[in-house]
Amino acid sequence: MKKQHHLDLLPGDVPETVILSPDIENIGRIAEFLLDARLIAKKRQYVTYTGSWNDVPVSVTSTGIGGPGLAIAVEELIMVGVKNFILVGSGSLLQTWPPVPSVIIATAAARGDGTSREYFPLEYPAVADWVIVELMVNAAQKRSIQALSGYVRSNDALFAESIYADRINYMQRSKTWIDAGCLATCPEAAALFTLAMARGCRAGAVVAASASHKRPYTFGYLPAGKANQAFTDAVTIVLDAASGLQCKQD
Amino acid sequence: MRDLHYEVQHHINMRQGDIAPTVLIPGDPDRPKLFASLMDEATKVTEKREYVTYTGTKDGVPITCTSTGLGTPPTAIGVEELCRIGAKNIIRIGTCGALQPFLEPGHMIIVTGAVRGEHTSEELIDMEYPAAADYRVVRALVDACKKLGLPYHTGIIRTHDAFYLESPWAHGDYKARLKPWVDMGVLALDNESSTLFVISAMNGVRAGTILSSGYSILEEHPEQDRIHAEENVKKMVMAAIEAAKLLDERGLA
Repeated sequence: MKKQHHLDLLPGDVPETVILSPDIENIGRIAEFLLDARLIAKKRQYVTYTGSWNDVPVSVTSTGIGGPGLAIAVEELIMVGVKNFILVGSGSLLQTWPPVPSVIIATAAARGDGTSREYFPLEYPAVADWVIVELMVNAAQKRSIQALSGYVRSNDALFAESIYADRINYMQRSKTWIDAGCLATCPEAAALFTLAMARGCRAGAVVAASASHKRPYTFGYLPAGKANQAFTDAVTIVLDAASGLQCKQD
Repeated sequence: MRDLHYEVQHHINMRQGDIAPTVLIPGDPDRPKLFASLMDEATKVTEKREYVTYTGTKDGVPITCTSTGLGTPPTAIGVEELCRIGAKNIIRIGTCGALQPFLEPGHMIIVTGAVRGEHTSEELIDMEYPAAADYRVVRALVDACKKLGLPYHTGIIRTHDAFYLESPWAHGDYKARLKPWVDMGVLALDNESSTLFVISAMNGVRAGTILSSGYSILEEHPEQDRIHAEENVKKMVMAAIEAAKLLDERGLA
């Protein structure tokens, strides 16, 4: 088999479980968590490291921001044998009651993105794999990490629905999702959940939410230690779940 | 504005205090009677239109069963009113049209999410919103099936409105209509779940669905006539009762 066109990977380069990071800057930071992490491939925004966590082999791959880049990564990873995906994303809080930053375990996603629409009719559910959700919730409890679980909202145009929006009333656009209880935004979750479901794979996502609609803190404005802690907590939960999957059946 | 939470609800004919924290909702108004027969004790609370309610206890845990009628319009009314009077967990119990070749009579389908192929939930919120079961209810149903030794599958189903477009008695080529959903991993068809999931999530109430399976409606089965569907439905109701007990035990009721 030829190397995958974008990810530059061959079967055997990655184990069954891969952690996905939309942020290419974070991929090295996540790799540092792993034991014996080796750089496997690097092409465009797709950087892959393979190592292990709790003696279970795990890879991390960066996807770039949004559904289009993520879908390419998921399709190509499936072609080299991947079965489980867990995304460590970033986003904004939609609710005002959680602390900033918060760690959000996504159980399902509102499909405001274009990628999942091109693949599947809008009535198809973007739902996280419940086994991964449960593993992440249990990992958080075990490590005394404060994490919330609930729905997230995916969309494509950051500058239409975020604290960075200037020409558009983003609070008005987001009202439906806020009223329906969505906890945070996560641009990639809907594409990941639908694609994994249709391909018979498991998928989950956790969001380190370091910005809030009501209180416009961004990553930079938060004390660095606080933002880093949310990211560290999110990665730890994801890696615990990834290694837990190995010995887990329903 | 009137606070509707404190009134006798117009359709289900009950108010706060009339139901247990966990409510099982079959479509068929005859099924609450079957539920009652499987409890340690249960009494009829009320009956109005397609909404028949029994409440009882099993091993000391209070559980309610309220029928919703078939289809998403009455399901939406029933679920919304149950949320208003304090339901914490709502579990749909029912039958389905199986779509995958590995499904058989006696198998239980534990639903994790549903295709929103109906219109009722769309009137309530944009189609982008997901119809997802609560993972804790899924866990309780899985554990209940394990405990009772029932074979089960977890996965997504498709909820839709027009039974006579997507069933073996349908007009035209129902198999062609269903093929895209089969390819997307949909296990089965029902007529209620996606509305239940959407309304429950919007109300902060946990929801789930367990369905008693048959053979795939896309294939011919010589055994089709010898299926003891009622016996399997009874096992499904027993699994849902067991799940309600587990939710109570886990502090979720």
